[in-house]
Amino acid sequence: MADGMLLLQAAADTAGAYRDFPLIGSRQAIWIAAEIHLMFAAFVLGVPIFAVVAEAIGIFGKDQRYDRLAKEFTRLLLIAYSATAIWGAVFVFLLSTLYPRFWAYMTAIFGPSMWVYVSIFFFESFTLYLYYYGWDRWKYGRAKIGHWCLGILLNIWGTIVMFIADSWLTYMMTPPRDITPETSPTSIKIWHAILNHTWMPINIHRLIGNIVFGGAIVGAYASYRFLAARTDDERAHYDWMGYVGNFIAMSALIVLPFAGYWLGREIYQYDQSMGITMMGGFMSWLWVIQAFLIAVLFLAGNYYLWVGMGRIPGAERYRPYTKWLLLVLVLGALVWGTPHTMIADSRELAAMGGSHHPLLGALGVMSAKNTAVNLMILSTFLSFLLYRRANIRQVVPWAKTGTRIQAGMFVIAAAIVLFFGIRGYFVEAIVRIGYSVYQVGAVLACIIFVTVIDVLMARGAQSLGAIQWGKMPPRSQYALFILAVTFTWLMGLMGFARSGIRQHWHVWQVMQDTTPYAATPALGYAAIMISTCVLIFLSLVGFIFWLGGLAEKSTFVPSTVEAPHVGQ
Amino acid sequence: MWANNLRILGVVLGTLALYTLIANKIPQVQSEVPHALTLGANVTPEQLVSAGDQLYHGAGGCTACHGLGTRAPNLLTDEKGQGPIGARCGKREPGKDCKAYLYESLTNPRAYVVPGYEPIMPDMGRILSPQQIWALVAFLESNGGTVDVTGSDIPPSSTTSTTSTSSTPSAGIAGGSTDPMTIIRGAGCTGCHKIGGEGGAIGPDLTHVGSRLSANLIRESILNPDAKVAKGYEKFKGIMPKMFGNQLTAAQLEALVQFLASHK
Repeated sequence: MADGMLLLQAAADTAGAYRDFPLIGSRQAIWIAAEIHLMFAAFVLGVPIFAVVAEAIGIFGKDQRYDRLAKEFTRLLLIAYSATAIWGAVFVFLLSTLYPRFWAYMTAIFGPSMWVYVSIFFFESFTLYLYYYGWDRWKYGRAKIGHWCLGILLNIWGTIVMFIADSWLTYMMTPPRDITPETSPTSIKIWHAILNHTWMPINIHRLIGNIVFGGAIVGAYASYRFLAARTDDERAHYDWMGYVGNFIAMSALIVLPFAGYWLGREIYQYDQSMGITMMGGFMSWLWVIQAFLIAVLFLAGNYYLWVGMGRIPGAERYRPYTKWLLLVLVLGALVWGTPHTMIADSRELAAMGGSHHPLLGALGVMSAKNTAVNLMILSTFLSFLLYRRANIRQVVPWAKTGTRIQAGMFVIAAAIVLFFGIRGYFVEAIVRIGYSVYQVGAVLACIIFVTVIDVLMARGAQSLGAIQWGKMPPRSQYALFILAVTFTWLMGLMGFARSGIRQHWHVWQVMQDTTPYAATPALGYAAIMISTCVLIFLSLVGFIFWLGGLAEKSTFVPSTVEAPHVGQ
Repeated sequence: MWANNLRILGVVLGTLALYTLIANKIPQVQSEVPHALTLGANVTPEQLVSAGDQLYHGAGGCTACHGLGTRAPNLLTDEKGQGPIGARCGKREPGKDCKAYLYESLTNPRAYVVPGYEPIMPDMGRILSPQQIWALVAFLESNGGTVDVTGSDIPPSSTTSTTSTSSTPSAGIAGGSTDPMTIIRGAGCTGCHKIGGEGGAIGPDLTHVGSRLSANLIRESILNPDAKVAKGYEKFKGIMPKMFGNQLTAAQLEALVQFLASHK
């Protein structure tokens, strides 16, 4: 492999700076290869995280259902893994042949880390094979714990591989400031290049994002199998699997904005102009589209839960609350999607009567948006809570007091969010930014304490009836498909934002893109590219999962025992 | 079975079509590449203004902040009753004409931060070529003032490059002068630091810096400003440019260090 790298670099040294790709052009070819590789990679990195967690619940909770669920997750992983490697190879060959000088520059700095990457990828592959094919062999006692450790090892390899790849792309965004166009790449110390401003924020953001994405794709797979199921047992199993996928995706989604906030702050600290380009420059409309997509995610995720309450005896008592939750979500989405600082021409400014709309301008600022999104997170958490306690009646003597304390915590968290949201209009920007920490802190504290109280209150709770897994109307399953498509599209959009803020630079202010494709395209063009990538990815995923279904029957368990809620 | 598959396909394609349609219905803004300019010595003011206009509204990225009235001053419209930038630029700094003020504001933007705004503007010398900078100056002058940029302002060595040459070793700041105060003013130090009653208050006061720092530490602070940040100024870490090692000549650096070290 090392020889191969050297050959590629030697070829790059002797070739011109660029070559073009027939018909679609080099930028589009690279865009498609990189994006689809990244989507598969996100899936194969996200799924092992919750496969290992599910296996642990199976082992330590002595619940075979979770163990089988973990195995089914891993089967999906096995099939998708080779697709990840194939698209990775396509990406590398396209990059080295279409952008040889840039490739030579990157290999001159990161060559050794590329060799390490390949070695770990090799270990990761064989750990995965051992993990999956050893599932039934190492099933009991210490062997089972050893098998579980293999799953942990798989995650460690995967995380290292991702961290290495992240160092390459973050170097392109935020190269250390002492590196100039005149700096010879061979003189740059590799650790200096790896430890750039955005490396760790991207690592963390992707780690969480992969869990969200993996959960969403698993949810879509389960919903497909649910719709195609021929027996009630099969339907019940895939209904439960879809619920678990949605739970994982939505839970991780709640944390994702905090990692995104850190990444954004690091970009601003590295270069104000880059941050401004991203948030208020030619990309400003992108965030309105992002707000719309996240609103779809919140609405579809909550809708799935509300429909799901139809199969839970005792959930009727919570139905009246859903219309109020819907109202908060819709109003929150409208505020979050309100544009504020936009590039506008003189005609548009005249039509608005100033640089901001006289009415909507007040809703487009950070104070209003932070308030809206925090209230949306609180509402979604409340939906989960109602779902969770729908079919139980608490029997602990302090149940009423506990519920009142929980309600009080919701009220206090919402009041803190609203207070700092309103106060933000009357203080300096630097103070206002600090208020978002209090708002987020109040929401997180509410989520943690209310959950702890709920778990304690559920001890020995009386059941109002078993959850009737499988008794879900088909429309709920289409909500899971919308979630998967939206998560995938959002990933493509955020990838465009991250990569696009480099504008006409391969490496920001160090190595310029001088191809005819150097201009960063407008959002409409990017949307066509993103949709194309999503369509190719989902088609391949559909085909791969169908192949997997041919090779092996599903691992569902006949529903002689009630499937538990997640976490119970 | 097939009915289910068709419905799923419909949901997927419908969702993708909706997102693509919305993204195509909003205003389409493309980030252009700064085009190389080939302006000769006999370039006309009209050609300079036209090139500057394109840069200002396109690849220069100026409209992201200027014109919105929140992040940076309005340049093409009235700002606090003083008229557009061409009308007010000559009055901003005593003894500095409009052309010199605008050029310095672009290449050393922290030298003259307008009160009420943050020092967020990047050094455009890192992003644009000297020809492009002068085209921008001409365009800004044309908004309410008189264009006096000519071909003779543009250095002959700046041909068609789209990037700056500011990061390469040069003849030094302020024409290579070794007079410490000329260097301090030329490098824009007084935009943030006060010395002898002159200058801003964003960075530490340099009037008695020699009593606090040795010559070696002063040199280090100029070349690598973030290595040690003065107490009380931690939140401004990263603001001071790190390119003085490339911009100052060795003689200028030493003159500056000895001058500051003697201020006890």
